[in-house]
Amino acid sequence: MRVEFFLLMGALLFTIGCVGVLVRRNAIVILMCIELMLNAVNLTFAAFAHENQSMAGQVFVFFVMTVAAAEAAVGLAIVIALFRRRRTTDVEDASLMRW
Amino acid sequence: MELLLGLIGVVAVFALVRSFLPARTLPAGAALGAVAVALLAYDYRELVGLEFWSGLIGFVAIMSALMVVIHPNPMVSVLFLILNLFCIALFFLILDAQFLAVIQVIIYAGAIMVLFVFVVMLLNLKTEEGLRLGGGPQRSGAIVLGAAFAALMFYAIRNRGEAPYFDPGPSGPGFGTARDLGGLLFTRYQFAFEAASILLIAAMIGAVVLAKRKLR
Repeated sequence: MRVEFFLLMGALLFTIGCVGVLVRRNAIVILMCIELMLNAVNLTFAAFAHENQSMAGQVFVFFVMTVAAAEAAVGLAIVIALFRRRRTTDVEDASLMRW
Repeated sequence: MELLLGLIGVVAVFALVRSFLPARTLPAGAALGAVAVALLAYDYRELVGLEFWSGLIGFVAIMSALMVVIHPNPMVSVLFLILNLFCIALFFLILDAQFLAVIQVIIYAGAIMVLFVFVVMLLNLKTEEGLRLGGGPQRSGAIVLGAAFAALMFYAIRNRGEAPYFDPGPSGPGFGTARDLGGLLFTRYQFAFEAASILLIAAMIGAVVLAKRKLR
């Protein structure tokens, strides 16, 4: 199995997630798209770890998962706080600190 | 085999397009079709190799990722994201990362996605009005820049050189098992492991403080 396939797959998934972050307005869906991007990077790490037969890439995936869990928890708490104040999760409405 | 893959592609794209219509039966039909195709592939498993399975999983992963982005209902987005995470877990299995595949399913598809489902249900979100595509210049600029980004990534993957050598660490029959990964985590990456625990504590306290109605 060639490693390029997994690299291309990671690139495609990352691009889709990136487009999602830019295009969607719902804060929860934006967080989901960020998870999508993190997973694409995880896939790339695992592919390179397999190619180099190095466990370092897999250890890095482990830490990325940890950070993703922390990010999801804090992000969803922010969404809940925003919803409590504004009755919306639309990022277009959360524009108080906008330039 | 290419013919079969093309057929699956046509059917899936058709189901994807039709599922935007209100008819409820079509996703179930598409799922049944996918099961039928999987059974067919299982019948011919001597003929199809790892490439076929990787292609099939990759196709499902890309389609589910697209559905996460496209579908207006956040609940459906969450469910397709879970499907996508399962596909990535299967990729981890193909890449000899058994332990990562297991924690992908348990932590990602289990814990984190439950959090997402919980929040979506709690807030009782309506479907959003439309995508944030903006006016003409923003949309065309996004399309051009996105295509350029994708082209750059494909170019980089096509023309990448040999990976620079670095200490590969343990490899061999135990590669990717919980034993190897745990051994590394508690020796060479001890500091990062402890830092991750502090990060998790901080995130937990932060989430509680943020979601709390009033402090004290």
